[in-house]
Amino acid sequence: MATERAVLLGNEAIARAVVEAGCEVACAYPGTPSSEILPAIAKFADLLDTKTVVEWGTNEKVAYEVAISASFTGKRSCVAMKHVGLNVAADPFMSAAQFDIEGGMLLIVADDPGPHSSQTEQDSRLFGLFAKVPVLDPSSAKEAMEMVKDGFELSERHKIPVMLRPTVRVDHCRQDVELNDPLRLERPAKFVKDVKRWVCLPAHVKTTHPKLNQKMDAVKEEFTKNFSKYNFEIAAQEKPKLGIIAGGISFAVVMDLLEKLGRKDISVLKIGTPHPLPLDLVNDFIARHENVLLLEETYPVIELQITDRRNVKGRWNGYVPRAGELTPEVVEELVCKALGETCTRDADEDLKKAIEELKITPKPPMLCPGCPHRASFFAIRKAFPDGIYPSDIGCYTLGVNQKTVDTSICMGASVTQSSGFYLAHKVDGQLRPIVATIGDSTFFHMGLPGLVNGVYNKHAFVLAILDNQVTAMTGGQPHPGTGQKLRKGDSGRIVPIERAVKGCGVEFVKRVEAYDIDEGVKALKEAWEYAKDHKEPAVVIFGHPCMLLRQEQPKVPVRVEDETCVGCKFCINFFNCPGLVFDESSKKAYIDERFCVKCGVCVNVCPHGAIQVISEEGK
Amino acid sequence: MQYIIVGLGGQGILFASRVLGEIAIKRGENVIGSEVHGMAQRGGSVISHFKVGSYKSPLISAGDANVLLAFDQNEAIRNLHFLKNGGYGIINVHKMEVFQNESLKKYLTKRNISTFLLKGYEILNEHMKGNYLFLNVLILGAMGALNLGGISFDEVKDAVSKLSPAKFLDDNMKALDLGKMATHES
Repeated sequence: MATERAVLLGNEAIARAVVEAGCEVACAYPGTPSSEILPAIAKFADLLDTKTVVEWGTNEKVAYEVAISASFTGKRSCVAMKHVGLNVAADPFMSAAQFDIEGGMLLIVADDPGPHSSQTEQDSRLFGLFAKVPVLDPSSAKEAMEMVKDGFELSERHKIPVMLRPTVRVDHCRQDVELNDPLRLERPAKFVKDVKRWVCLPAHVKTTHPKLNQKMDAVKEEFTKNFSKYNFEIAAQEKPKLGIIAGGISFAVVMDLLEKLGRKDISVLKIGTPHPLPLDLVNDFIARHENVLLLEETYPVIELQITDRRNVKGRWNGYVPRAGELTPEVVEELVCKALGETCTRDADEDLKKAIEELKITPKPPMLCPGCPHRASFFAIRKAFPDGIYPSDIGCYTLGVNQKTVDTSICMGASVTQSSGFYLAHKVDGQLRPIVATIGDSTFFHMGLPGLVNGVYNKHAFVLAILDNQVTAMTGGQPHPGTGQKLRKGDSGRIVPIERAVKGCGVEFVKRVEAYDIDEGVKALKEAWEYAKDHKEPAVVIFGHPCMLLRQEQPKVPVRVEDETCVGCKFCINFFNCPGLVFDESSKKAYIDERFCVKCGVCVNVCPHGAIQVISEEGK
Repeated sequence: MQYIIVGLGGQGILFASRVLGEIAIKRGENVIGSEVHGMAQRGGSVISHFKVGSYKSPLISAGDANVLLAFDQNEAIRNLHFLKNGGYGIINVHKMEVFQNESLKKYLTKRNISTFLLKGYEILNEHMKGNYLFLNVLILGAMGALNLGGISFDEVKDAVSKLSPAKFLDDNMKALDLGKMATHES
């Protein structure tokens, strides 16, 4: 096949390169902004007819361990996740870094500066430094593709996992890229037993840790001498007034800005290998510039590794904001500030005034119209208006709009926080209804250990599992409850949630139709009675397919009866549907036909009965 | 050429940037753009950046965009600052009176920004049984008919038909033509 060009999403480009690099085992757990990588690996593996095994793991730790074990046998493997996913996979990530792996292993961690879709904006490059693992930081989809291939080779040369750290603007950029033939490696799996190599006994660490340090020295030398395609200087055409060191996407932003401004008095040093930092290159650049601005996302990782930071303006010393994304606007201001010039950017007064007068504000994310979670949350609040509602990570975190999400820390914490709340009240001899919400995929990811813990330690709470038959927030990936897999012709086995729950030792398990609010309220009350009486968790599963799956369902058109609506906003505050809005001039709610999907659930929401089904005859 | 596409999650904005990408690749042009996926996509404000030419960054800076495609009028107004002087916006409108706001009119005149206000919902109610899924293609049809960014209607049509799932092909072609017709009527 000749080289062809295509416009791909950054994550698709990364996936293409993974397949082209001859990766044979690819695993992941979905999480924005990484989610599209694994399905695209499956798509390209199908298209190019490679042997690559492609699997969603139940969580990132699982996926990491599956992938790295394949590399013990000589196979090229990769694992993809979002930055907070690496927190979950931190255990194998830290340990396996000390092993002499056999096949190349690429860890793709997608960071989310901003953040746009995450609970932190942590910088995975720093995790690379912590584990002593080399990190590649792409500035575009094109470069990410090259780095995937170089990453596998680097990994094999030094027998160490390599991290590719794209940020959201690389993952979710769309760019024209080159497509090439895949490498078809003929490497039969060959696991050679070697206790010193594959068992992480403390005694072995006395050898492996110093060896890891030597690996880092060797990689650093390589990054300094042989990677000028990722680390290079674009010298100013005139005497430089400013030197900018830029990593990742910040390099791209800076280059477009300099082009636009037509500046010839600024040099740029691009760093694509932030760890281990090619310090000689950086020190040399700093020595030649009196005024140095350092732009990187999101933590000062390059900056921390610089031995003399006195002339460097960066995130560490607060010259560059210590949090947030470096957007073109932020970068332009910083460059102007570093040059001692004033920015010409003008916020237009007329436009500002228009936006104020028209009361236009950004629209925050909401659950989709027809989303079953909305009904479940309404039932939860109705059943226990004074309950404590620990929740979890997924679409349903948006239940915060309905005042039914009180806490959310990380994947699986809804279950364990319920235990904590129960115990805190118990020591005072008190008992409050606790209803936790967790999604189906999140339940399999990290809900299970907490549930076993709750059963074992006898904690009374209700766990509502919101089963919409998909990992929804990240775009609709399958999970153990669905049994589907990614490659054509591949299928898994369904792990029914009910059986998993019972297997944890839970005695009270009830499934309800999520749209049926009355049934939900009844089941929740029964569950709490059981939990209270038996001092153990009770589970209610709210089932209904996600709207993104676009399954056919009966259409129930509704209207708000003007004469009955008292304008109390109860439906807005506690049901919070894009299709049900409040008209400030008439002080009445109405159905916004642009968004309403005619699920009919809101009919049971209005305490005054103002929301009514439009009967066929009434049309 | 730099395009900003704005709207609300679920309105089909990503398809529009895929169409622009398809057109550019056929022309042999370099493209880079930025999209929104994940939580921000759930019904909230979304924005796509799309740049044709030798750009390195996927992001468009305020005041640099040539074309604004807005699926929602509020999102259009919130993002007007992206348009450069002399830029062009196609805006799907559900409350026409908003565009009588004096400050807004003053801004548009001062910046020499042209707008085409498309009554998308009305058109789709009338001709496509109120199926708003076709809003994106309707807007693309208007864009092609107005020859924005030097892209012809036929180029848009080729790209949309190539990227359309089979079951939506006929309806997409119809929506494209409706978009074109709307520009003739105004």
